[in-house]
Amino acid sequence: MASPGATILEAARSAGITIPTVCYHDHLTANAVCRICVVEWMGSRTLVPACVAKIQPNARIYTDNERVRTARRVILEMLAATVDLSEAPELQTLLAEYGADPHRFGSDAARREHGPVKVDNPFYVRDYDKCILCWRCVQVCAEDVQFTFALGFNGRGFETSIATFFDRPMPETTCVFCGNCVGVCPTGALKGKREYLAAQGAPIGPR
Amino acid sequence: MTYQPVLTARLGKIDPASLQDYEAAGGFQALARAVELGPKAIVELLREAYLLGRGGAAFPAGIKWKAVSEAPAPKYVIANADESEPGTFKDRILMEGDPFALVEAMLIAAFAVGAEQGYIYIRGEYPQAIARVQHAVNTCYNAGYLGRNILGAGFHFDLEVRKGAGAYICGEETALFESIEGKRGFPRLKPPFPTECGLFGRPTVINNVETLLCVLPLVLRGLDWFKSIGPEKSPGPKLYCLSGRVHRPGLVEAPMGTTLRTLIYDYGGGVSGSGELGGVLLGGAAGVFVTPEHLDVSLDFAGLRTIDAVLGSGVVMVFDTSVDMKAVLRRIARFFRHESCGKCYPCQLGTQRQHEIVERLAAGRLRSGDLLALREIGQTMRDASICGLGQTASGAILSAIDRFGFDEHTGRFLRFDSNW
Amino acid sequence: MTTSSSVSPTAAHLHLSPRQATAVHAILRRYRGKGSAYLLPCLHDVQAITGWLDADLAAQIAESLDIPAVQVHNVIEFYALFYDHPVGRTIVRVCDDLACYLAGSEAIVRACAAHLGLDPEHGGTTADGAFTLEIHPCLGRCEQAPFLMIGDEAHGFVRPEQVPALLGGEA
Repeated sequence: MASPGATILEAARSAGITIPTVCYHDHLTANAVCRICVVEWMGSRTLVPACVAKIQPNARIYTDNERVRTARRVILEMLAATVDLSEAPELQTLLAEYGADPHRFGSDAARREHGPVKVDNPFYVRDYDKCILCWRCVQVCAEDVQFTFALGFNGRGFETSIATFFDRPMPETTCVFCGNCVGVCPTGALKGKREYLAAQGAPIGPR
Repeated sequence: MTYQPVLTARLGKIDPASLQDYEAAGGFQALARAVELGPKAIVELLREAYLLGRGGAAFPAGIKWKAVSEAPAPKYVIANADESEPGTFKDRILMEGDPFALVEAMLIAAFAVGAEQGYIYIRGEYPQAIARVQHAVNTCYNAGYLGRNILGAGFHFDLEVRKGAGAYICGEETALFESIEGKRGFPRLKPPFPTECGLFGRPTVINNVETLLCVLPLVLRGLDWFKSIGPEKSPGPKLYCLSGRVHRPGLVEAPMGTTLRTLIYDYGGGVSGSGELGGVLLGGAAGVFVTPEHLDVSLDFAGLRTIDAVLGSGVVMVFDTSVDMKAVLRRIARFFRHESCGKCYPCQLGTQRQHEIVERLAAGRLRSGDLLALREIGQTMRDASICGLGQTASGAILSAIDRFGFDEHTGRFLRFDSNW
Repeated sequence: MTTSSSVSPTAAHLHLSPRQATAVHAILRRYRGKGSAYLLPCLHDVQAITGWLDADLAAQIAESLDIPAVQVHNVIEFYALFYDHPVGRTIVRVCDDLACYLAGSEAIVRACAAHLGLDPEHGGTTADGAFTLEIHPCLGRCEQAPFLMIGDEAHGFVRPEQVPALLGGEA
């Protein structure tokens, strides 16, 4: 039995039921932005996000019915048609599991492309073509961990992106190079510079 | 039956900059009456009147007021004047023509729920409304209607006018809180609801301008009068924003539950353009299209549910049969793509994909699978988006496809086929 | 055809006249220490003087309100009425949403673009910096369609042939 105050996600886990998540991270504030964890709560007009919705006694919840699976599949399809997920194995697994077909929107569907990888500091690189806007990096940089406030947002809607203050290079921001953002990035949009250079085939010398 | 307008009665008859004019035309009598009644009685009156929110969501105002009246201070009252739903112009006309009425209604709300601070959040593209409401607020401070110990009744209320900055999403109440707090207009997760955790994390009443203005005649004329207007399940006066292909577009005040036929032919002087009615968009871009078969349905919250339509903010936009429906749908899709805040994936991605497919539809280049994708995107946005923007971003487009005889093979809307 | 300011901020810098600098300074003093809830009012007031907002101004606003600089950037980039790039001294907003379209807004947009020598699809800013043309979502004047705003001035029931006279002299 789920403990009082538990989320649907926590309750499901303790019952051995898997609910997929993307933006959710065990140690960060849940913002329910990806909506992959939505479930059907009988009586609710819309689906509800399992990562934040609190379980209630006698609630009838479907974690894997047709309505839920359609929403998850379509979100995954739209995401994969927009973002480079080549270094996001967990998302690749989900795409396969839900039978998602990102090509249904056509080869001319707009993708979010941000130009060359940003290599502007000795510690990590930023490859925003791979960014899924899960918000984790912004959160660890702000109130969830570091209170550094180096990262924020550009644009809105489909054209939202993660950005520094007026797109300045990292060394010109408040960034303290704690590395937390790299640690929580799920898609390889943020990665260590050595790892990046190694993948580029550059020789790695002593640091 | 003849209906005597109350919400628009002063429009054009008084100088909107003159407190004297406002008082001479019955202004601040409702506040005086409210002070006599006391906070509890006002909240009860609102609950019994079953005044439903006029901004689009149709939530009972009395439930909000009661919850906040029983919550601990500090608490806030907010007028949601971020009117941005395409086709909606009622609140602008009220604020431009009768700005003191909004201040008076805010005073009653604050008095009833025990709030000492309020905000009027007005859309940034309404410079004249902002100027007039700001002038009314300043004048009321000077006249002792705002500030400390108002009317000698021992209550205090400070009221601030806030200017929006070009974001449709900020009409969503929690995004509006974020905006006042100095952030991007990202809607919050609900629960918690504003009555418990609203502006600055405190209990907050937030109502649409028209909803607030309904309180004035309700307090003055009483429950029986209010309930005598319109249908039992959603009583009271209603403002309809009549626009598009009618001979006389404009703001119509009529009883809730007036029919489309009355609005279009009696108030609007009939259909212009081809003269033949093709369809009507109810509720704006976030609403749905209905057809001439629906002319006699009662335009109220409950009545429209019977035909899978919504009243929303009272938009009644008329389309004659000569209209290029594809160009209309392109604009709706473009609007949502432009106004999605980008917080949740279904809407951030879905409004873009929807726009791409609708552009193909408009260009006569639909691909096989496009319509299925459009429906699935719509269902996903409706089911899984955080807020009303994403949840309603596909409704108008899908209703046009379903109700206007869209032919996938020819790319035509049979009902609007006279031109091509 | 959108009017959002979602493009990357330009590297451009504002050049303030002494009079503008004094006015901005007075505004920043007025908002000093007021915190996040005064960010939008502060941005409106400053932009009314300067026309648009660059990184230097944003940093000064952050410092004055005592909030993180990145928050100021977040907000400027989100709201369509805040500009992170130079715009014309007068902004012309032509409504091209549903009701205005039904009343012929496309011809109004074309007339404005032709008069100002700008692209009718996307608008833009005239070379002399006098005007910015925006093709705008619903401006809430559907009963006066087609509708346009020149600065804060409202013009309803506009006919294409009136556009040159309306835009003729610079405001």
